[in-house]
Amino acid sequence: MTHVNPDLDLTLTRIIRAPRQVVWEAWTDPVKLEQWWIPSPARCQVQELDLRPGGAFVTLYSEDGEFFGPHVSGCFLDVVEGERLVFTDTLHGGWRPADAPFMTAVITLRDHPEGTEYRAHVMHKSQDDRDNHEKMGFYDGWGTVADQLAALVEQQEP
Amino acid sequence: MEQQATHLNDIFQALADPTRRAVLGQLRAGPASVSELAQPFDMALPSFMQHIRVLESSGWIRTRKVGRVRVCTIEEEPIVAIEGWLAEQREVWEARTDRLEVFVTTATTENTPE
Repeated sequence: MTHVNPDLDLTLTRIIRAPRQVVWEAWTDPVKLEQWWIPSPARCQVQELDLRPGGAFVTLYSEDGEFFGPHVSGCFLDVVEGERLVFTDTLHGGWRPADAPFMTAVITLRDHPEGTEYRAHVMHKSQDDRDNHEKMGFYDGWGTVADQLAALVEQQEP
Repeated sequence: MEQQATHLNDIFQALADPTRRAVLGQLRAGPASVSELAQPFDMALPSFMQHIRVLESSGWIRTRKVGRVRVCTIEEEPIVAIEGWLAEQREVWEARTDRLEVFVTTATTENTPE
């Protein structure tokens, strides 16, 4: 369903020994999400967790527990109860385009004999942004460059 | 973070040119002087020097003067930096999943702390 580009994406799959509903709630209950989303001792505040396509996903981050600064500001693209969450920081809540888009994440939960199969597929933005186009004209993204890099590295093999 | 992104942009931009990629390819075989490196190219020396400067300022190569000759050596850091970027994202997500796992497994074996 989602195509994986090895130069830009990361995928991770983990068998979590807990029922699917428990994992789903850890993700979708703001009080629970706050407890694991950011590594301690930093603190997390879930400002918005509007679980529907177009709904905002906003978390804040604090080093000292007093001043909370921006962490994630994104938008849900797809929410399938108990199964799938898709969000991106390409958009803010309500589909409003964001300034610095970076990634789209697809979180999938499946039943597994030992608990839940948890899968995250994170797609990153290609780096062929405006700057590169202005300066280089012909540069067309990380994928191409990674190929070039691979070719370069292979050249040195004896 | 910002600084790191700029550094990565410089690294990739330096790579986005056939002459510079060829120079890096040559340097994989070992250090070489600017004139040795320039030899295969039909290019005026000042233009070639510009490529050398781009490679140097982006961190791909280091140059030093030995007598009247400028010797170039390739650096490993840019490749490490490129690999490091995705690896960093992976670390973030792996660690996140670790915390989720700990959270849900403790929450099911004990009662959820308030």
